[in-house]
Amino acid sequence: MSQKNELTHDAPKLTLVDRIDIIKNHRLFPVIFPLSMLVVIFLIFIVLTGGRFADTRVLTGVFNQSLIVATMATAVAFIYSTGNIDISVGNVMGLAACLGALAYQVTQSMTVMIVVTMAVGIVLMMFNCVLGLVFNVKSAMVAIVAMSVYGAITSVLVGAEPIGVDFKACKVLEGNFRYIAFVLYFVVCLLAFSRTAIGRKLRFIGGNENCAEQTGINRKKAIATSYIFAGIGVGLAGVFQVLRTGNVAQTIGSGMGMDVMLATVLGGMSIFGGAKSNTFAGFVGAVTVTVLNTGLLMIGVPSTLIQGFRGVFFLILVFLNSERQKTLPSRQQF
Amino acid sequence: MGKGEVLVEVRDLCKNFGVTVALDHVNMQIKRGEVRGLIGENGSGKSTVTTIIAGIQQATSGEMFYKGKPWKPQTSLEAVKAGIGIIVQEMGTIPTISVAENIFLGDYDKFRTGIIINRHKMVAAAQKALDDIGVTDIKAGDITAKYNMEQRKLIEIAKVMAHEPEMFVVDETTTALSESGRTILYNLMHKAAAEGKAVVMISHDLDEIMEHSDTLTVLRDGVIIDNIEKKDFEANDIKQKMIGREVGGNYYRVDMDGYEEDKVVLKADCITTMNNLLCFDLELHKGEILGIGGLSECGMHDLGRALYGLDEVIDGEVRLTKNNIKITSSEIAFAHGMGYVSKNRDTESLVMNASIGDNIASTGYKENRGFGPFISNKKERQYQQLQVDSLAIKCVNVFQPVSALSGGNKQKVVFGKWLAADSDVLILDCPTRGVDIGVKAAMYQLIYDMKKAGKSIVLISEELPELCGMSDRLLIMKEGAVTGEFFRKEGFDNNALIDCMI
Repeated sequence: MSQKNELTHDAPKLTLVDRIDIIKNHRLFPVIFPLSMLVVIFLIFIVLTGGRFADTRVLTGVFNQSLIVATMATAVAFIYSTGNIDISVGNVMGLAACLGALAYQVTQSMTVMIVVTMAVGIVLMMFNCVLGLVFNVKSAMVAIVAMSVYGAITSVLVGAEPIGVDFKACKVLEGNFRYIAFVLYFVVCLLAFSRTAIGRKLRFIGGNENCAEQTGINRKKAIATSYIFAGIGVGLAGVFQVLRTGNVAQTIGSGMGMDVMLATVLGGMSIFGGAKSNTFAGFVGAVTVTVLNTGLLMIGVPSTLIQGFRGVFFLILVFLNSERQKTLPSRQQF
Repeated sequence: MGKGEVLVEVRDLCKNFGVTVALDHVNMQIKRGEVRGLIGENGSGKSTVTTIIAGIQQATSGEMFYKGKPWKPQTSLEAVKAGIGIIVQEMGTIPTISVAENIFLGDYDKFRTGIIINRHKMVAAAQKALDDIGVTDIKAGDITAKYNMEQRKLIEIAKVMAHEPEMFVVDETTTALSESGRTILYNLMHKAAAEGKAVVMISHDLDEIMEHSDTLTVLRDGVIIDNIEKKDFEANDIKQKMIGREVGGNYYRVDMDGYEEDKVVLKADCITTMNNLLCFDLELHKGEILGIGGLSECGMHDLGRALYGLDEVIDGEVRLTKNNIKITSSEIAFAHGMGYVSKNRDTESLVMNASIGDNIASTGYKENRGFGPFISNKKERQYQQLQVDSLAIKCVNVFQPVSALSGGNKQKVVFGKWLAADSDVLILDCPTRGVDIGVKAAMYQLIYDMKKAGKSIVLISEELPELCGMSDRLLIMKEGAVTGEFFRKEGFDNNALIDCMI
């Protein structure tokens, strides 16, 4: 043992790069880094706006705005962790909300609207999943096709005039219902992902599919589970969207799939999935994106430039997230 | 050019990978005219020191001298041009380009006129390089992918030799070569040494390295333990220095314990798969170590996969007799107490960027449940730590990613995962491939302990000594069928075994 101590004592000094590496590889890094980024950005905006940013109304706005993206980002984390990518979630949410709103027009019942929206979200996500698993099409391919198909159906159903849902009924449900529903979903996801076999299996599949198979994990079952969780979240986001705006427009949800992806990466999750996946990344990321957007607008940055800022952040985070080889390539077995 | 003159000198060389110390103040002199052997356990720093000399990676601190001048290569190409070559352990050829392009990779300039590369000239030069090392069955103009692993290794050797190196490193190359390939390599090494060049040879095979090197340097945990002259070579002494403690000359089991011959636990009944097997029968008994041997392509690896439900059995069936369960997938196999260690450790047995703990815990999702479906942190931590401790896995803590571990320790993690699962039937496909003798000895002990505890083990291996040393019963396969059955109690006859293989 004393020899061991001598060895470490005698070891060469760590360089800065080594130290950064150690910090980066710490198991709490993916939790703490995005959160501290969010806090830093938040504080910077408070200073730059002379405190206006900390106003309750601004903060409520930020929160409401990020809620929809956050719900979806939490949902897709399940899919991303297995190394699959689905960017059609925006359009799935759109079509779900559209059918929900139509159901409301027929029945005038908020309950029916919520049930239909949720159900459609789950069914459509499961449809994506089946295409991928049964016909062995890459999930990203399925998503690209699904995106335009669902988008087209939505715009045909909606037509030129947005589908309205009684604004008063929405207002009743907008506050507490949303918060409770979101918190409930978020906590369930968090627990399922980090404290049950479901999340562990998904991460394991994302890390090495062959190894997962040999450890008795059924890949298809696990991936199907991930799409069910995602479907619930996407449906819920559809409900939130209807409640927020009180109507469903033709372009609902389009482009949101990319926003969700950006939020996930900003939250510190790798889009390649695997061991370092988590479900809260999306929430933190969604808030970060919204804080960035709102803050930059408030200090007078033109919205066109904001896209650029977001791009730079995206790049930095992907860089920090990606694994680079430090040693020789792993031994190929003969 | 005098023999005995110092060609390469390494002073106080250190290398860190994060917190892991791979080399710790290493001093070494490599002289002209010698074949220097480097030996040590996995992760002892053998490959690290040679790859630094050959410019593949850079040292954290320390100095190097080559031909008396300071030496600090930034790339392997720089080293190659200065006369230092390395035949690496990994596959070093690109399959999609021609043999000639591989041989002169990164060095096409000399075949260039203006912007056009003279392919004809390059192929001719490559063919000459192959001829020079005595390889005649490879055409330099062909696509590399056409050739098998051994031939590709020979191409690499030609590549290194084509640059007429003053010094070259042979890093565990012989494992990929057959007898004739090895002879070619050994001849090259001794010829180079005789011409006053220097050769560094890394190998896990103690007999091989003792036969072919003049001086042997033993490394352990990044520190040079000893330099031994040929006249003082003694196998047990070298082993002891490598591992740092005494190991018996014989590390296989020595007992003659039997097994429960009337109790079949796993039965393959006339199974046929798309890979190699046609109506194959097998019975595995309680407490039995069943060895399966043969040449690499004889179907034994496919048999292992079929037994565990990884390859589809299209006719016949594999059954666990205990609950009369038919094995149709790895999910069913795992759920009913089977385990499988693949021969491809890095690509199939581990999630490389996941932590040691996550890898071990992957077999215990069910067992470690606390309340309802929720996994208990405490139980899971104990599950992991028990294996890390009992297998003495060298790591900082269980959160370290397995990719940071050496080969032997990675294999220990794989074993830990299945030991923790407490599987009744284990299928081990080449479990000691690429691990050093220290870890090997530990693995053999574990396999024996499992047998003692009434587990049944299928041991698939390409190494005859291992099979003879460990098996209760040994099946030799050829072309997907069993060609011989041998029993421990009757003693194994090496020649008879080999006769069944070929």
